[in-house]
Amino acid sequence: MAEINLKVDDVTVAYSNGHVALHDASFELNRPTICALVGVNGSGKSTLFKAIMGFVQPIKGRVTISGESVHQAHRKNWVAYVPQAEDVDWSFPVSVWDVVLMGRYGYMNFLRIPRQEDKRIARECLERVGMWEFRDRQIGELSGGQKKRVFLARALAQQGRFLLLDEPFTGVDVKTEEAIIELLMELREEGLIVFVSSHDLGSIPRFCDQCVIINRTVLATGPIETTFTERNLTIAFGGALRNVRFDHTDEPGSRNEYRVLTDDEGALVFDHEGKPALPVKRQIAESDHHD
Amino acid sequence: MTELLLAPFQYDYMLRAMLVSGFIGAVCALLSCFVTLKGWSLMGDALSHAVVPGVSIAFLLHLPFAVGAFASGMLAALTMNFIKSRTRLREDAVIGLVFTTFLALGVLLISLYPSNISLTTIILGNVLGIADEDILQIVIIAAVTLAVLLLKWKDLLLFTFDPHQARAVGLNTDLLGLLLLTLLAATAVAALQAVGAILVIAMLVTPGATAYLLTDRFGRMMAISSGIGLLTSIVGAWASFFLNTSTGGCIVLLQTILFLLVFFFAPKYGFVPIRRQTRRSTKSIPVTRARVPESHPH
Ligand SMILES: Nc1ncnc2c1ncn2[C@@H]1O[C@H](COP(=O)(O)OP(=O)(O)O)[C@@H](O)[C@H]1O
Ligand SMILES: [Mg+2]
Repeated sequence: MAEINLKVDDVTVAYSNGHVALHDASFELNRPTICALVGVNGSGKSTLFKAIMGFVQPIKGRVTISGESVHQAHRKNWVAYVPQAEDVDWSFPVSVWDVVLMGRYGYMNFLRIPRQEDKRIARECLERVGMWEFRDRQIGELSGGQKKRVFLARALAQQGRFLLLDEPFTGVDVKTEEAIIELLMELREEGLIVFVSSHDLGSIPRFCDQCVIINRTVLATGPIETTFTERNLTIAFGGALRNVRFDHTDEPGSRNEYRVLTDDEGALVFDHEGKPALPVKRQIAESDHHD
Repeated sequence: MTELLLAPFQYDYMLRAMLVSGFIGAVCALLSCFVTLKGWSLMGDALSHAVVPGVSIAFLLHLPFAVGAFASGMLAALTMNFIKSRTRLREDAVIGLVFTTFLALGVLLISLYPSNISLTTIILGNVLGIADEDILQIVIIAAVTLAVLLLKWKDLLLFTFDPHQARAVGLNTDLLGLLLLTLLAATAVAALQAVGAILVIAMLVTPGATAYLLTDRFGRMMAISSGIGLLTSIVGAWASFFLNTSTGGCIVLLQTILFLLVFFFAPKYGFVPIRRQTRRSTKSIPVTRARVPESHPH
């Protein structure tokens, strides 16, 4: 496979009402990776995804995907996308099977009649996420985790080189979250660039190897170990995080100090050096609100 | 009795009216599936009113009425887009503003320069008195719309359901949006003389809304919807012969009656079955009282 590369070069995006949601954003991903896109609500995560999807035109700067324009990359089916749950009309009259076949449209003929191969791939992808038995369900009749898996299957069916996931863990039970994480790690092994937006800070160091931290512009970008630090996150999240310190020794220079950074999602624990303490498994099982 | 019921079929003009209405009704109904799911009802209503000045201008310029009407509808749609993208006004305000302007202009033009089609016909429709050349225009528009829908419904479906995904697989969503808008304007023009500008929107919403309550597969929704559009339009035209009233009114009321029946009795999404289901499942919830721990003395 040719070189894989996602380059966001000095991108500024303004909405039609004049609001500049993202300005002078630059970063580059150029090897198979799982990269976290981190920022508070309203920091422009979805906007950055929209720019990569070609849904908003940057008023300045350029997005290139393996050297091609966004439009060309889409024509080649390179970029698959898992939408935010609230961007989907769940009462739409389509079945799980219909949705997964939508990942194959780019390979089908003018009339979009699925070939045998399209059906085979769609089936494999549904089986891979464990949703084959649900293929005839209307999409609204699924739990939050199942919905997410169906859209993951659609993205897989597209057989792209890039996978964008917008808030994939919102409204998803812990079991599904684990399954999704495992799948994403497999995809990285298969050579994909996986780009995940999330404000669930706790799980990010467990499966991401790079991160892009934004708040209307790129604040920091790089490997998790050096970039996903308390300092950077505090800058990005400001007062939106609760910061709790645990220190059982009262000694100055204690090595036992841990700090917990959390918004409403999973908590992130730092050790005394301000590095993410690994592995951070969630202790309290959360119930799936959408079940 | 049978003879009486078949009476409309003896008249050429009735036969024509029923066929034309049926055809247009079916095409409008097919499009209504997209209109209802995309949330474009207001847009459809606006377009069907915005075509009015075009009719008058076409007459003044000796052009076919459909050309003028269509151009006027598209101009209104593009104006709305332009204003919407350059103000903070909400979409419904922009739509309301633009289409009433077009309608006012139309009313003004038609009263200043009376054309071959009267204002009443444009507003209320008159499929019984429709001229031959107008029928030809209408049938051509409806046929082209039908062909486009049958060929491209899957692309339009993906565009309606998930425009991001449509982009991701390389479809041109701007073009698809424009296509859907064009089809909307075209059917609004085609239905203008059949049911009139005021009632066009019913043909572009009600059958789709009815079918939506009956199925959760899009393909079936299109089939049911166009069936409803075809039948109600033919029967409506037929009934207007006996009632000696407006065809448009008959067609739309028939569609509403069907909608109400479905709204109450549809097997899965009907009002009555849902209530029955709720009652049944609340009954079957086992009544278990939480056991309150006995209070401990301090
Ligand atoms: N279509 C839009 N028109 C105008 N402003 C928008 C639009 N979409 C998002 N915004 C604004 O842009 C900012 C960034 O939004 P978004 O990218 O959705 O943030 P995030 O996904 O990080 O929560 C927010 O302030 C939001 O209100
Ligand atoms: Mg978002």
